[in-house]
Amino acid sequence: MTVKTRYFVIVSLLVIFVGLGTGLVAYYVGFPTSAFFSHSGPEELRYMPSTAAVVGYVEVREIMASDLRQRLHKIAGSPAQDESKRQFQELTGINFETDIERIVACFDATQVSAGNSGSGVALARGLFDPVKIEALMREHGAVVQDYKGKQLISVDHFGSGNFNSVTPGKIPAGNTSMALTFIEPGLVAFGSTALVQHAIDLHSGGGESAATNEDILSHVRALDGGNVWLIGRVDVLRARAKLPDIVANQLPPITWFSFRGQVDGGLQARLSAEGRDDESANMLRDVIRGFLALARLQTSSKPEFQHFVQSLQLGGSGKTVSLSLDVPSQVFDALGTMMPKRPREQAPR
Amino acid sequence: MTKPGLLPSALRVFDFSLGQMLWSRRSIFLALLVGAPVVLAFAVRVVAATTGLPVINGTGLSGPALFGILIWLLFVRFVVPVLGVFYGTALIADEVDDKTITYLFTRPVPRAAVLLGKYLSYLACVTLLVLPSVVVVYFLVVPIGGHIGESFPALAEDLGMLVVGLASYGAVFALVGAWLKRPLIVGLVFAFGWESTVLLIPGYLKRLSVAYYLQALVPHAMPQDSSISLLLQVFQELPSVAVSLSCLAGITVAALWLAGRAIENREYVLEQ
Repeated sequence: MTVKTRYFVIVSLLVIFVGLGTGLVAYYVGFPTSAFFSHSGPEELRYMPSTAAVVGYVEVREIMASDLRQRLHKIAGSPAQDESKRQFQELTGINFETDIERIVACFDATQVSAGNSGSGVALARGLFDPVKIEALMREHGAVVQDYKGKQLISVDHFGSGNFNSVTPGKIPAGNTSMALTFIEPGLVAFGSTALVQHAIDLHSGGGESAATNEDILSHVRALDGGNVWLIGRVDVLRARAKLPDIVANQLPPITWFSFRGQVDGGLQARLSAEGRDDESANMLRDVIRGFLALARLQTSSKPEFQHFVQSLQLGGSGKTVSLSLDVPSQVFDALGTMMPKRPREQAPR
Repeated sequence: MTKPGLLPSALRVFDFSLGQMLWSRRSIFLALLVGAPVVLAFAVRVVAATTGLPVINGTGLSGPALFGILIWLLFVRFVVPVLGVFYGTALIADEVDDKTITYLFTRPVPRAAVLLGKYLSYLACVTLLVLPSVVVVYFLVVPIGGHIGESFPALAEDLGMLVVGLASYGAVFALVGAWLKRPLIVGLVFAFGWESTVLLIPGYLKRLSVAYYLQALVPHAMPQDSSISLLLQVFQELPSVAVSLSCLAGITVAALWLAGRAIENREYVLEQ
């Protein structure tokens, strides 16, 4: 073998083995798409239970400042809504437009309480006035207690989500104990008492959390960005929902679903579902293909919706089915023209 | 003086044939053949980065799906058979055409060792060119909407499958080259005529092809790109992986043995 041949053999083998080695490491370690981009999800996942069936994320500040949101506000906003926001800010000290940076929430189907088939917790990061919020909750019957060094503000009977409608002695159906705590400066946890306490436990002592659940992390990494996303276990939710057999059997055999959206001037989104096996994913793809064809047929005479419908792209391989869409701002403008006009506000005499 | 055994003789022939084969004019064709998918993958990467993934029949393509299509349409259906034909049939035929076979046969080595050594050098040559090409294509294409870690098992299976395919086709066409006078034409008819057609015919006839067993080893779903693919799927009764590997190993060994026998017994008359 000549020197030239020997070098060629070495280089070829090097390419093969480096490639295989990199792939092997990526397979076992779970390398992201780009080697230089670390995307293991928001840090708030560390305070969520590892048994979470649904996890959602919203970049509130970014979405509130986006062009799309400004347009929607012009189309669908009303003075009554502005007044509600002002009242909310007066009560809580929170300006929803600017003070909340992001919210991460989860639903845990294993946390079953009386009348409920699961519990949830939301962690919001931003600028909060703890004193004002605590005072508001105390006014509505909340109790403040110490739990592992954190102030736990809990409300025992909270059913409607509206503080004003809770009256002592009258416990609405489907009630659960809710709590709020400031885990660290700028991070508030609100949700069922059990999960808020669990968040405090995770903050103080660590342990198994959504951030250590490889299933959740791998699905978060697969989202690859976006300022709003949602992932969840359909099979777990279906089991907890206790659906009648006739309904449950009609649902497609999906294990995981995910939604990823990027809100800026428009909305770019991708909805994915992971089937039980390749066959069920192929059948689901066929069904969606049929609906897409129907949608294209229906919008053939509506140019303002054609771009949206044409942007619907079916994708995915193996067990995964995905549907991507791109909704430009013009679609929302068109929707706005179709909405009924608000009656003009009468000027005060 | 004792005659060296088959294997040491074959390894000696392999040693000098590898360089000969790698730096021959035929290898320019080989380099173009394995370079084209890399160039194509690079172009796809640039297009995906600028205008987004292509949409075919309303279905957006992801990197792993695109990689599967490239493996099927480029490597399995074209590159592997073509390499088998052009290199396999030329193992002995080139030596005969160049009138250098006499020098090999006058050496005190078994004649079959010449064929075996050349076959091993063919296998090494095409493996060292095709596999890096597949690896480069993988890293260019799969990260588009996919993950290199998740798709790694498919890469490993593809590489293994391609080596097995190159070995089988090479052995079959080495037999054709050792046996027949116009091996290239027969080889092309076999690779692109018989192999494609027999898969469409229902019954046991498809078991007389290499493609029938090789297709069972491909980890990607066959692309539904044409009526032929759809027809193939209708008539497809793929054997299990174990059966395919056994049959391909059997075809390789049998073809090489028959080619060795043909070389031992045949008299090569060199044209003056």
